[in-house]
Amino acid sequence: MDINNTVLHNGLTIKDKQTINLNLMINGEKYILKTSPTEKLVNILRDQLQLVGTKISCGIGRCGACSVLLDGDLVNACLVMAYQVNGKSITTIEGIGGVSIDEVQEAFLLEGGFQCGYCTSGMIVAVKYLLSMCPNPTEADIKEALSGNLCRCTGYGGIIRAVQRLANANNYSKDID
Amino acid sequence: MKSKLIEKEDRIRPDGLSKVTGSLQYLTDLTFPDMLYGKVLRSKYPHAKILSINTEKAEAIPGVEAVLTYKDVPGMNRFGIIIPDQPVFCEDRVRYIGDAIAAVAAQSFEIAEEALKHIEVVYEELQILDSPDKSLRPNAIRLHPAGNICHRSSYQNGDVQQAFEECVAIVEETYELPRQLHAYMETEGGVVVPEENGGITVYAATQHGFKDRFQISRILGIPESMIRIVSNPIGGSFGGKDEQNIQPYASLLALATKRPVKIHNTRQESIRASIKRHPMKITVKTGTDSTGKILAHQVKIIADKGAYTTLGPAVLDFSVEHAAGPYIIPNIETEGISVYTNNGVSGEFRGFGGNQITFALEGQMDRLAEVLKIDPIEIRRKNLRTTTDLGPLGHRIAPTDGASLVLEKVQKLSKQLKKDYKDSLWKRYGTGIAITMHGGGLGFGRLDSAGGRISLNKQGEIEISFGFEECGQGLLSVIENLVIEEIGCSQQDVKIVIGDTSVVPISGSSTASRGTSIVWQSLQKMKGPFKEKLCKYVSDATSICKEELYLGPYGIWKVGKEDGPFMTYKECAEGIVDQTVLTSFHFPVTPDAVNGGHFLYTFGGVKVDVEVDLLSGKVKVLSIDHVISAGPIVSPKGYIGQIEGGGVMSLGYTLLEDMKMINGQYATTNFDSYLIPNIVDVPFDTNVFAIEDLVEGDSYGPRGVGEIGTIAIIPAVVKAVHDAIGCWVSKLPISSEEILENIESKGMLTWI
Repeated sequence: MDINNTVLHNGLTIKDKQTINLNLMINGEKYILKTSPTEKLVNILRDQLQLVGTKISCGIGRCGACSVLLDGDLVNACLVMAYQVNGKSITTIEGIGGVSIDEVQEAFLLEGGFQCGYCTSGMIVAVKYLLSMCPNPTEADIKEALSGNLCRCTGYGGIIRAVQRLANANNYSKDID
Repeated sequence: MKSKLIEKEDRIRPDGLSKVTGSLQYLTDLTFPDMLYGKVLRSKYPHAKILSINTEKAEAIPGVEAVLTYKDVPGMNRFGIIIPDQPVFCEDRVRYIGDAIAAVAAQSFEIAEEALKHIEVVYEELQILDSPDKSLRPNAIRLHPAGNICHRSSYQNGDVQQAFEECVAIVEETYELPRQLHAYMETEGGVVVPEENGGITVYAATQHGFKDRFQISRILGIPESMIRIVSNPIGGSFGGKDEQNIQPYASLLALATKRPVKIHNTRQESIRASIKRHPMKITVKTGTDSTGKILAHQVKIIADKGAYTTLGPAVLDFSVEHAAGPYIIPNIETEGISVYTNNGVSGEFRGFGGNQITFALEGQMDRLAEVLKIDPIEIRRKNLRTTTDLGPLGHRIAPTDGASLVLEKVQKLSKQLKKDYKDSLWKRYGTGIAITMHGGGLGFGRLDSAGGRISLNKQGEIEISFGFEECGQGLLSVIENLVIEEIGCSQQDVKIVIGDTSVVPISGSSTASRGTSIVWQSLQKMKGPFKEKLCKYVSDATSICKEELYLGPYGIWKVGKEDGPFMTYKECAEGIVDQTVLTSFHFPVTPDAVNGGHFLYTFGGVKVDVEVDLLSGKVKVLSIDHVISAGPIVSPKGYIGQIEGGGVMSLGYTLLEDMKMINGQYATTNFDSYLIPNIVDVPFDTNVFAIEDLVEGDSYGPRGVGEIGTIAIIPAVVKAVHDAIGCWVSKLPISSEEILENIESKGMLTWI
């Protein structure tokens, strides 16, 4: 059987897959990759670049485990295709924090905002995005911002406390300014 | 959302930093040089004969390295923790749509997936038995050689029939509970690597590494000594990864190709093949005298087992055991039956049958309270066990006053709605409580080996090791905190070794709320001899009297010398030769020979407030208060997290979750149609109240809290709905349509 004639479910054939040259910034580093234009961003991150901090859980944009920032916007990396990220800048969990950990990561540690940790990468990215938009979020803001990120372990209690800790801190620093 | 737990020393969990930075490598994140990718072909039909399997076309696809079927299984072509009745690969018949027929290893997941489409299987469809009712019909086709009954379990005391005649109030109800998905965020997966000695290393999540080793050895036909299981870290399990999932396939493919093989289920693949919580139909008749004292309790449980056994019998035994819960009932008759069907396999799931039976039991208590016009707390108190009462199967248990302490605390919380919610035109508010009792460990008559090891390793670390897995539950924190507390060393001195059969001792499974108990009990047994060994070494080396030495931070200290350790652990490690203490024991079990009877029990109570929307029929939980009696808290954040998280998981079971099957096919295949609670469904007003005291003389220490938070919330929500709109729900998840019908029939909706 000739593999070149094998049509995959996504309409591409295995061997003569069309490829594109992809230029993108990930966590501040430049990458040039050869990939299928319809390859999912989550697969590019995890399989091609070994950036496995971004997780895959539902694969259909319902759980948020693969949340990353795309030019500063929160997206599910399983719903973004390669051609859509050409020339763009991506921040994954590996790009949150630097020499020391980020305040969101610290708050998650202090408040028990995780258990198994599998949703945590995406959750922390989503909280980063929330706080960048809204430094002192209300309950409604928190619910709105994190409703796309599922966690099966914590029941969200520790996550809520982590966000509220940061919100209170922001509130406090605003007061003393 | 605030924690009401008393302040305790709390540490960042040992795996915390790697989890919040995303640097932790889960077993599904691993890759190895020359690695292949595996996929498993599952059955097209819920029930069919297999007439033929042809893999030739799949094998011919470039990039395909192996295609395996039942013919390629060198050992036993079956798995199953209790009874190995599930085919690794089906030979001539499929019994559910998750049944495996073939597996492929290829250069990529895409090629492997493509190859599956070219495996030609000819089926002859058989009648689908998609409910226990159908399977129990006399003319039903037999799903297994012994028939369609997987297991029967019963308990009887007194004479219910006679007692019912004396009852003033009798309530009879049938409770229906759905199939629930574990919904661990990390689907099953991992890598199996062939080793030079002909053996393998299995990097795949499980809740009992040694049990996996045993099962895989049986399948491969090679000795257990040639199999190493690396079983954690795990992205959630909740019971769901206890049984074999991808391990047999990746192992067989790795041996066949002599290359590492990775399998990582997609969510759809996971849902198709994985075990779920047992759907149960529980019919209960309960009668009391005029004061609310229960005289008779008759329970019939029918569990939908699905196609294969796994831990189904033990789950049913647990439900039967807990039918009376924390109440003393003089006349009781409980009968359970677990029935094979062509539905998805039901198995082990956090709560282990306690969730279903407690929904029925507490439902009865509330209905009886209504009939008798007694306060729901009062009817419970009237029937509540006391410290030294026998357990629910009439067996001796560790004395405990947890039941009454929990009920007292719940009573204090339950006086009223927390806030001054005012019923409005379209909203009604209500409050409800429930309590429960939950056994820990595997129970009487089951091999429940426990144990651990402590040692001063060559690096001068106090190395503590258990055959457990970190599934996310926080076992690492439990171990670390207990070692620091019991040994007296610092956090930096502790090295924890778990989740790898090549280096850990036998501790039994990371299930059944048993881990915390075993870690504490092991340390009680090991700490004395371990301290003795280290102090003796220092004493021999320095001629300082042993009694003047003690273990502390960073080393062995001398009484009176407070400026630092007399000898550091590192210095000690350089010379010491006898530095290891092992312990092995059986998990504490009732002395009475009652099958499955537990000995250590925890207690939980819940108070919830709800809002019912009269226009949509939606139930919203406004607040949750948990009261838990499980002994001293070992790890505060872990404790709160287990209770809150368990509560929300069961909130999902009560309000949202039903892994529905239609004609043996899953009606939902992913999180778009199977909804688990998200942050919007959860009340920020959630509190955990811990009762840490154990009865005087209790020598069993802190109990595990992995399951206890998942039980009482279910009946509490249902009672709160009744409080709000006056209708009893007996089928979960609570259906908006049913609520709306009730609202309409009661004429509660006033149109302007």
